[in-house]
Formats: sequence, C-alpha cells, structure tokens
Amino acid sequence: MNQAPTGLQISTPTDTTIVLTRTFNAPRRLVWEAMTVPAKMRRWMLAPPGWTLTVCECEARVGGVLSLAWKSAEADPFMTLQGVFTEVVLHERMVHTETMALGSGQKVGEQVEKHEFAEENGVTTMRITQLYGSKEARDAAIASGMDQGMEAGFKQLDGVLTHAA
Amino acid sequence: MVIDRSPRLDRVFHALAHPARRAIVRQLSIGERSLSQLASPLKMTFPAATKHVRVLEAAKLVHRRVAGREHRCSLLASPLKDAMLWTEQFRRNWEARFQALDSLLEEMKSEEQTRVRRPRSR
Repeated sequence: MNQAPTGLQISTPTDTTIVLTRTFNAPRRLVWEAMTVPAKMRRWMLAPPGWTLTVCECEARVGGVLSLAWKSAEADPFMTLQGVFTEVVLHERMVHTETMALGSGQKVGEQVEKHEFAEENGVTTMRITQLYGSKEARDAAIASGMDQGMEAGFKQLDGVLTHAA
Repeated sequence: MVIDRSPRLDRVFHALAHPARRAIVRQLSIGERSLSQLASPLKMTFPAATKHVRVLEAAKLVHRRVAGREHRCSLLASPLKDAMLWTEQFRRNWEARFQALDSLLEEMKSEEQTRVRRPRSR
C-alpha cells in the first residue's frame, strides 16, 4: 500500500530519550542522500529566524565528522554542533554523537542521535532516537524548541487558555 | 483536549503572559544568565528585571542563586513540560524542516526520472 507521508510523531519512551518518527514519499537511498550530503542538507536544515547556517560538513562513515555552525547578529553570535559517526550501515542506520556549543565554547547540550530508515513500496519511515545524559538535559532540549517561533507557540497557548476558561 | 486546571499551571501561564518574561525565558533557554545580563538586552532597569524574575521564580520556571555579588538565573524546564506547549513547539520546528525535506525529495525524484528517461542527453 502506498501511503501518503504522515506528520511527525514525537514520543518520550524513557526519561532520557526523544523519538521522532516521520515518513517520506521517497526511497530511503534518496532520504539518506538528503540527510548526509551537505549541499542537500543546507536545503532543509532551516535555521531559526535571524540565524544563518554558515558551516555544514558531514562525512557519513565510522569516524567521520558532522560539523554545523550558525551565525546570528544577536547577543551570542555563534552556535556550533559537532559530532562523530560511530555506526554507519548505508541507507539503513547511522549513529552519531552531537555536542552543541555557544561561540564562547560553552557547551549547551550533548546527545547521541540514532537514525533508522525502513522502506516499503517507495515510502521511507525514518526513526530518530535522541539519547540525552539526563532527564534534565532531555527536558531542556524540548524547552529550547520554543526558540524558533515563540510567538506561534504563545498563540497556541492563548487557544488553550480560551478553551480552559 | 483535557487540561488540568491546577493552580501551579495557572501560575506558569500567568508568568508567561508578559512579553518581557517570555523574553527572559527565551534568554535562559540558551543558558544561565545574571540579572544584569538579562536586563540589558531587554533595555530594562535592574529593578524591573528583578520584578519579572520574581514572578518567574514564583511559578517555579526560574531558579535564582547568589554567586558573589551576582544573582545567577537559570531555567527550570519541568513546569514548562507541564504546559505541554513545549513538546508541541519542538515538534513543529522539526516538522517545518521535514516539510522542506519533502520538497527536496520530490525534486530529487524527478531529477532521477529525467536521467532515466534521457540517459544520454546533455
């Protein structure tokens, strides 16, 4: 059966994990390519408003490096993401570490990210498992999601408050 | 949607109802800040920033500790989680990226089909 892509599902099966599941209407080798080739990554790794993606490097092989950097005109001008691939099975799974840091070098987050791809009838289901060092770090990662589109979030909150009243 | 109308959640929502306090929460989502570091980008006086931080403290959204002459503030994430909003916002950010990825994949698929149909074309 050829399914239409389904929207992103998020779950938190344990205190230290976030699992993201999403289907794409494309074979998994194309999804893999879009997620590991820098020229392609730049097309969809949207930066938060006011930020620009300045560095985008990715070598999807064991020991290969993942390096991203964003620049902003605001208070903390740089944000970096550095990681190393620890497991790579072409078109099937990849595991890499991830450390987020500010321009000052101050670490703001650390996690291990696992991507798994399953293909059926030309539709790919991707599952990302993010593993954090503690529940606090996991919760902080969710809380930081508000950074992009805070106002949209508060509009939604207004709606919740209206219904609750 | 079932909402638990707990007094604690009311305090969280009240605390977040002010744009200055939302700006403070946003700043703290990046990391710990002193009161003066919070006040200056918001063009706020020190007493005004202190007042807003107190409201956030009462909602248990912010923790304040004294380090020497500085008051250092940090975000407490769990009350935010209670509001559920944050998970939803996190999901939306990723969904926006994945929608961009959907378009890219459509483009890649049609490029590939063009190559298959006209393998020798230049």
